[in-house]
Amino acid sequence: MTKHEQARLLSGLVVSALALAPLTGMAADEPKAKPVETAPAPQPQAQTPREPRIGGPGIEQERHFDKIAAGRWTGPKLPDGQPDVQGHWSNTIANHNNFTDPQGGIPNDPAPNRRAKGPREERAPSRVSDPGDGQVPFQPWAAEKVKEFQVGFHNPTQPEYIEPLARCAPGGVPKSLYWHGYEISQYPGYVVFQFNSGTRIIHLDGKPHLPENIKLWNGDSRGHWEGNTLVVDVTNHNGKALFGRSGEFISENGHIQERYTFSNDGARYVYEATLTDPTVYTRPFTVTIPARKWTAKDKPNGWHFEVEPANYVGKAPLKEPVLDRYERVCAENNGGFGLVAAEQGKK
Amino acid sequence: MNTSVKQPSSRFRRLGVAVVLAAGALGLSSAVQAAAGKIPRLANGKPDFSGIWQTTSAADYDLEPHANRKDAPPFAGAVEGGTIPYLPKALEQKKKNFAARATDDPALKGYTLGVPRGIYYPEPFQIFQRKQDLTQVFQFGHSVRTIYTNETDHPKDPYDWWLGDSRGHWEGDTLVVDARFFNDKTWFDRAGNFHSDQLHVVERWTYLDPNTIEYKATVEDPQVFSRPWNVGVILYRHREKDFQLIEDYRFTLDYDEHYPPKPPAQ
Repeated sequence: MTKHEQARLLSGLVVSALALAPLTGMAADEPKAKPVETAPAPQPQAQTPREPRIGGPGIEQERHFDKIAAGRWTGPKLPDGQPDVQGHWSNTIANHNNFTDPQGGIPNDPAPNRRAKGPREERAPSRVSDPGDGQVPFQPWAAEKVKEFQVGFHNPTQPEYIEPLARCAPGGVPKSLYWHGYEISQYPGYVVFQFNSGTRIIHLDGKPHLPENIKLWNGDSRGHWEGNTLVVDVTNHNGKALFGRSGEFISENGHIQERYTFSNDGARYVYEATLTDPTVYTRPFTVTIPARKWTAKDKPNGWHFEVEPANYVGKAPLKEPVLDRYERVCAENNGGFGLVAAEQGKK
Repeated sequence: MNTSVKQPSSRFRRLGVAVVLAAGALGLSSAVQAAAGKIPRLANGKPDFSGIWQTTSAADYDLEPHANRKDAPPFAGAVEGGTIPYLPKALEQKKKNFAARATDDPALKGYTLGVPRGIYYPEPFQIFQRKQDLTQVFQFGHSVRTIYTNETDHPKDPYDWWLGDSRGHWEGDTLVVDARFFNDKTWFDRAGNFHSDQLHVVERWTYLDPNTIEYKATVEDPQVFSRPWNVGVILYRHREKDFQLIEDYRFTLDYDEHYPPKPPAQ
């Protein structure tokens, strides 16, 4: 095997692994990583039943997180006045396996794993922070569809049971924020999120939203800064991106208002979104997702921090190590199980 | 940036004036003075290519000169010297590709277009630029390419990437980009012009005026071509009111009817 063939194989493996992860649930609830201490740790918790595993390549991480108060931004600013929050970020409680019980495994999993989960209160809270029961206030027809998806997902006999990520679809809102790690970059008039699956350009430039009949996986985003909080209005959803393997969704009539509130030390943010959709929900509800920044002090890993040290050739001594990010292209996986279900669906 | 060039900060307007005055004192041509004074610049003085760009060229149909065909408008070609210098065996492959272009063009599958094709594909792309890098978001396929301008070199242990690995440096006001470590899955155009994973592209990005970029690329691939060859297009800034990229993700189009779940018919 030539070096190039090896490289191609490896690159294929990396991409396939990323793409297959949502379906095989590999390491999803069972972080293989040894606990790794990383700085900065969040403020001490009042009560921590078990040691959270923060910072390893696993995705489980924290069981508790603190809110961040909206207010003034006292951290560094960019020349155009925006708070400087650029860098690599990832959520701190599990991934997209389960929307309302993030560390609770895969709903209706026919081969449930591996380790007893323990009581619900020892796991991270539901991403639904309001209503207080942590459940999406679905209308009955929508709740039925979600259940159908959860059952159908494991042996997808219909095309609609294929998780859209397996078809290289953008992750949509809010799922992109708890899938893999991502990079935030800022420019005059824009905040840009580079996810593993579909870049989001947040316009701060005052343009109006796209015409209503244009529907998009990632929606159409307009934002502005209020102190330490990026406030974003998202419209034009195509309603096709699920919130997780647990199947929750919004429809084409949905509207999402997001607030990304950053801590002034630049280490964390908490995302709060209000989802409104009279077609699917009985009332608006709130999604809360904690995130933390990853820097060159952290060890790169395959979930949250997919980078490697750059091959620096400059003459000046390095103040801050420079990082390279892997290419974010999804194509290899546009077949396989996706086509299997499509073919069966045609029969 | 919706209707015109981003206004440089007042500090740089002043700097621009100073540059023009200095250039005048040195006796440079008025055209050069005008271009140097007007093009948008970053805080570090380098040209700022931020904006939404697109070619009017028919290069994506067929890089080589061609009369009109059912699948392509006529075009005098974007390749310097007219034709691409294929090695004999590669020319056979190109002819096969051409014959099968209606089904085999990777763009038909929605694949990332690669370099340089993404630049002259007839859909807009947006450049986001900082001192340390220049990020290109392509509307087609929703793909993202980063050109590092932070004095880093290609990785020591590279993979093969769809968009290669791009490292840029400045030669005066020209951004020179060395792109290599590509996979062999992309074509240069709809006519089946192709490359191997030995592809190496050197790009030169230069402002002709604040709304026009001259884009040139030298293409090298010893497995496929007998010598390096040059391709060039002009890119124009989108200045329509409220113009923006619109997600163009194609992998899922065949399944669109199956999402999202629908409420029961009333």
